Amino acid sequence: MKYAAKRILLLLITMILVSFLAFLAFEIVAGDPAQTMLGTEATPERLEAVRQELGLDRPFIVRYFSWLTGFFSGNLGVSYNYKQPVWQLIAPKVENTLWVCFISFILICIISIPLGIWSYNWTNKIWDFFRTAFNQLCMAVPPFFTGILLSWVFGIVLKFFMPGRFPDLHKDFAGALRHMFFAAVCLSIPRIAMTIRMMRSTVIGEMEKAYVRTAISRGNDRKGVLVGHVLKNSLVPVVTFLGQTMAEIIGGSIVVEQVFGIPGLGRFLVASISNRDYPVVQAIVVILAFWVVIAGTVADLVNQAIDPRLRLGGSK
Amino acid sequence: MLEIRDLHVKFHTREREAVAGISLTIRDGEILGLVGESGSGKTVTAMSIAGLLPRKQCRLSGEILLGGKDLLHADRSELRKIHGNEIGVVFQEPMSSMDPLMKVGLQVGETLRIHTDNSPEERKKLVLAALDDVELPDPEAIYNKYPHELSGGMQQRAMIAAAIASRPKLLLLDEPTTALDVTVQAQILELLKKLNRTHGISMMFISHNLNVVRKLCKRVAIMQRGELVETGDTEKIFTDPQHPYTQRLISAIPTRTRKEPV
Ligand SMILES: Nc1ncnc2c1ncn2[C@@H]1O[C@H](COP(=O)(O)OP(=O)(O)OP(=O)(O)O)[C@@H](O)[C@H]1O
Ligand SMILES: [Mg+2]
Repeated sequence: MKYAAKRILLLLITMILVSFLAFLAFEIVAGDPAQTMLGTEATPERLEAVRQELGLDRPFIVRYFSWLTGFFSGNLGVSYNYKQPVWQLIAPKVENTLWVCFISFILICIISIPLGIWSYNWTNKIWDFFRTAFNQLCMAVPPFFTGILLSWVFGIVLKFFMPGRFPDLHKDFAGALRHMFFAAVCLSIPRIAMTIRMMRSTVIGEMEKAYVRTAISRGNDRKGVLVGHVLKNSLVPVVTFLGQTMAEIIGGSIVVEQVFGIPGLGRFLVASISNRDYPVVQAIVVILAFWVVIAGTVADLVNQAIDPRLRLGGSK
Repeated sequence: MLEIRDLHVKFHTREREAVAGISLTIRDGEILGLVGESGSGKTVTAMSIAGLLPRKQCRLSGEILLGGKDLLHADRSELRKIHGNEIGVVFQEPMSSMDPLMKVGLQVGETLRIHTDNSPEERKKLVLAALDDVELPDPEAIYNKYPHELSGGMQQRAMIAAAIASRPKLLLLDEPTTALDVTVQAQILELLKKLNRTHGISMMFISHNLNVVRKLCKRVAIMQRGELVETGDTEKIFTDPQHPYTQRLISAIPTRTRKEPV
């Protein structure tokens, strides 16, 4: 368990560093918030009053820490644009985006790991051709295109959901889930294709290893070798890849949410950037950065649970 | 107990046969040595007995009879029943031959899991007994370790424990001590002698080192370029080698060690 504690400590340090950089960047880019709020016509006295009210007269480092503690207690400041607490504005969007990413990640895992192993068996020439072609197709077709296609087929024709009219997650959970499911499918298709291909090539590499011969010499059948030995050994690079996937699907979700009309983080981020609503942008940027480093940490911890040799890594 | 009749193995990618007509018997309860230089076909011979050759990549002919069954022409499911159950194999590199992500105890118990319907508790008891049999200290602790936590010698002992756990009739040892240092090598040889004596397991011991074979095997077969050049009593071959290749092998051993059989 020591290795896990170490990894989590590293995560916390990274999170502090990342948030500090974000805070610093906005300090430089955003300029004086009081000025932004009041406009160019404001009197110096009025500006000074607002600065005091916002706590801008305190030193930089003090303001950073109060912002950071605010981040974890749900106090992210007030939006310039909506004059509402930032957290109240983005919480429902965070929720929607996390659901879409979560569903799509689950789809990626449960489809590509078994198929990756299974596709190892498809080694004759005809299968190879179709598998490769299909795989390339899935990787090449962009999610917005599958998004439009699925909205039309499952939304407009089959009426599984109403494209563009996303139900409130808390009022109609099943409806919202159905809607998000199709968005998640679009998001996951290229990633599933990539993960299958990666899993398959890892399995092919592992099958060459000496321990496979040992496993056969003990009476394992093909399934026993693949599931009992090769699967676990193939998982480490795949988990690392899935960690990156986890980080990347949240980027991909912006487009998909746009196509399906799901009010998510991505859409809100784009809107807030064009409004120069810095407290909102800052909060979303830090949330996204945390998401990326947390995904990496989770992948590392899972890998350490799989492969005991990785547990030594940090201490030596 | 095992009889090889006119075994030929030719890989499609090679011009020459890797094994070119070998006939050999392993008698009940004996340790037979198989000696030859690198590339002479020792491993290929052992792998054909064990049914571990990639059948698509080579052409096999001849017969390998184990208790009347022809292993060379057995189908996969017949072979699976023999693998680990009637024939155990120990390979040269213990580290890479073990599954790095599986606990040692589970690897040692694998043949039992596959070939018997013992309960997990019974199986664990047998595994601990096998670990004890190969003289590993503190079997309970070893059971829960991963291969990389053991030394090379301990790994090879664990591999031997895994190979004998379900009491096969025949153990194929493909240079099991070559990767180990000399003192560990000597200990493993002693262990093999003991297992042969106490459990009556027949063994085929492969080595390129005639001197090692002399310590362990009453009978030895000398192999060169896929063929057997000489087979017989180890001491007799040592004192009176017939074939020029055998003579060369013996004269390659330093004289001091040659004179005193251990
Ligand atoms: N899978 C394979 N494909 C093609 N040729 C092979 C294959 N395995 C072995 N050979 C060839 O068969 C011949 C005999 O090899 P083998 O491994 O049996 O030698 P060996 O006596 O065990 O040597 P060593 O002491 O190096 O282990 C060699 O020429 C080798 O290159
Ligand atoms: Mg060899």
